[in-house]
Amino acid sequence: MATYIVRRLIQAIPIVIGISVISFLIVHLTPGSPIDKFRTPRVSPETINNLIRLYGLDESIPVQFGKWFSKFWTFPFDNTAWGYSFTDGLPVRDKIFARIPSTLWLTGVSLLVTVIVAIPIGVLQAVRQYSWSDKIITTFSTIGYAMPTFWLGLMLKQTFSVQLNLFPLFGQNSFGKTGDLLDLLWHLTLPVTTLAVIQVAGWSRYMRASMLEVLRQDYIRTARSKGLADSRVIFKHALRNAMIPIVTLLGLTVPALLSGAAITETVFSWPGLGFLGVQAVTERDYPVVLATVMIGGVMVILGNLLADVAYAVVDPRITY
Amino acid sequence: MVRQDDERTLLQIRDLHTHFATADGLVKAVDGVSFSIRNGATLGVVGESGCGKSVTALSVMRLIERPGRIVGGTITFGGKNLIDIPDDEMREIRGNQISMIFQEPMTSLNPVYTCGNQIAEAVSIHGGMSGGEARKRAIEMLSQVGIPDPARRAEEYPHQLSGGMRQRVMIAMALSTNPELLIADEPTTALDVTIQAQILELMKALRERNRMSIMLITHDLGVIAEMADDVVVMYAGKVVEQSDVNTVYEHPHHPYTRGLLASIPRLGEKRNRLEVIKGVVPNPLNLPAGCLFQRRCPSAMPICNVAPPFQEVAPGHLSRCWLTPAGDPPSVGEAPSEQVALDAAAALSAE
Repeated sequence: MATYIVRRLIQAIPIVIGISVISFLIVHLTPGSPIDKFRTPRVSPETINNLIRLYGLDESIPVQFGKWFSKFWTFPFDNTAWGYSFTDGLPVRDKIFARIPSTLWLTGVSLLVTVIVAIPIGVLQAVRQYSWSDKIITTFSTIGYAMPTFWLGLMLKQTFSVQLNLFPLFGQNSFGKTGDLLDLLWHLTLPVTTLAVIQVAGWSRYMRASMLEVLRQDYIRTARSKGLADSRVIFKHALRNAMIPIVTLLGLTVPALLSGAAITETVFSWPGLGFLGVQAVTERDYPVVLATVMIGGVMVILGNLLADVAYAVVDPRITY
Repeated sequence: MVRQDDERTLLQIRDLHTHFATADGLVKAVDGVSFSIRNGATLGVVGESGCGKSVTALSVMRLIERPGRIVGGTITFGGKNLIDIPDDEMREIRGNQISMIFQEPMTSLNPVYTCGNQIAEAVSIHGGMSGGEARKRAIEMLSQVGIPDPARRAEEYPHQLSGGMRQRVMIAMALSTNPELLIADEPTTALDVTIQAQILELMKALRERNRMSIMLITHDLGVIAEMADDVVVMYAGKVVEQSDVNTVYEHPHHPYTRGLLASIPRLGEKRNRLEVIKGVVPNPLNLPAGCLFQRRCPSAMPICNVAPPFQEVAPGHLSRCWLTPAGDPPSVGEAPSEQVALDAAAALSAE
């Protein structure tokens, strides 16, 4: 197992280089420049040129890439490793690290809620396939799956914040309550609901399909033929097998945990990485955009590795 | 029918009907099946795929899944009608007094639990044993079914064993509770010939040791000759012939049974070609009127448009065919007219 993980990590190196080159090129190919917002009649061309030199944009793309890439990996020791933000001049690493807890709260809690809700729903639906409960839940999950995140978020805000005044409109904490857990959870309710409704819809479908697949296997009939109660057949014999693809899927969800939920974060002004990324793109804040894209890319690689490792843990047939 | 009130009868099925309400129509997979299994005897159930033999077995276990349903008849075991008893009572019988092994050893064991765990589970559910005792029993069972190094094998997962070994594990699991009846649904079909012989030998030895009855489902007449005391031949959801094994082999009466016997090679016999039964099993959604076998039958006669009664052709030997006990077509004089036949059939089914 350890050799397998090391081998996979070594294999990841060329992939990471590929991700870097492509994202660097794409960021620089997008129309517009970080300097554009300064190009007003009141700013002299001299100042503009100074800014271009200050940001290093006067050099050729390969040189820019080399400088950025070689410094990027010193981030554990150097808070300027990812450069300075073009918008406020702060070190990008500090900006991003400051956002990670917020994003993890939002994505982590919503994933937890999703799993806790979706797995029992999927099991119930599979066990009672084509029953009324199955059909009603299927209807709701289709609606949930089809619902645009931004619209659901806005509707929840409109109903529960504006009209009923039960939950805050935006943000992560009330003024002066930073670090108050209850206040945080209160602020989390609507964004987590937004994400969870849509994710539960999908995950319960996966769980239902996976469970249905398992329930018609021969070994389930064997378990029943032993005289086991239905609950034991379902929760001991079927569930463990049905969870194998779900655990893999969980591993693949890990990147989403850190790249944040851009739309939901934007709707609720949640100070997470997704919100930061969206702002950075609109501002052409190259260093911030690149850092967020790189985090996303590396997390995808790690998530895949995690999924493969988890696969071996839950399925005794898989060894590396 | 066979002397059914014999005290030595372990299981008695009477007029069992198991139907499947499919989207295309009603499939009468088992349509009026009756037979019984004697204490300590092995009953072979033979027939082509789709003739209802597995459904009969699953009906006894009450493991018929939707859209299937037992719609009529009785299955008497230990003085109880298994069709009527509540679910929890059935669970106590299932896997305890009646166990079942299946055709596919490769897929019949749960891949994520060790073999020992799966055997111990049956024991601890029914025997009320603690985890440790059940574990010991599992290892003991593995050694009984001839698995070398049972303590180590008990810790292994099904995928680490060969097909033959897995079928041994299935047998160990089924027999761990000392059942009175073992239902074996094509237990050797998926195995190599040499392994088949080993598994059959094992089943024989364990049958003697545990003094249990076996209901052996197969399409392999060689397996029946090897194992069975009594034989039931099924065709399209009905029993068409029933007797002890020697009678069936020496004096088969029903043309279907004769066809089956003619289609297997025998040692010491020189034949260029094996006989085949022409045609296919009738579509269960659209069964012909009268005898279900008539379209494939070499002896078909006009009378076959009327369903023949299941009647004795010799003591203890029943057949569902109009042919005389000697196997000749009923002569014109004595052949029942269609009306007489209908009356006879009606009278028999009313009984």
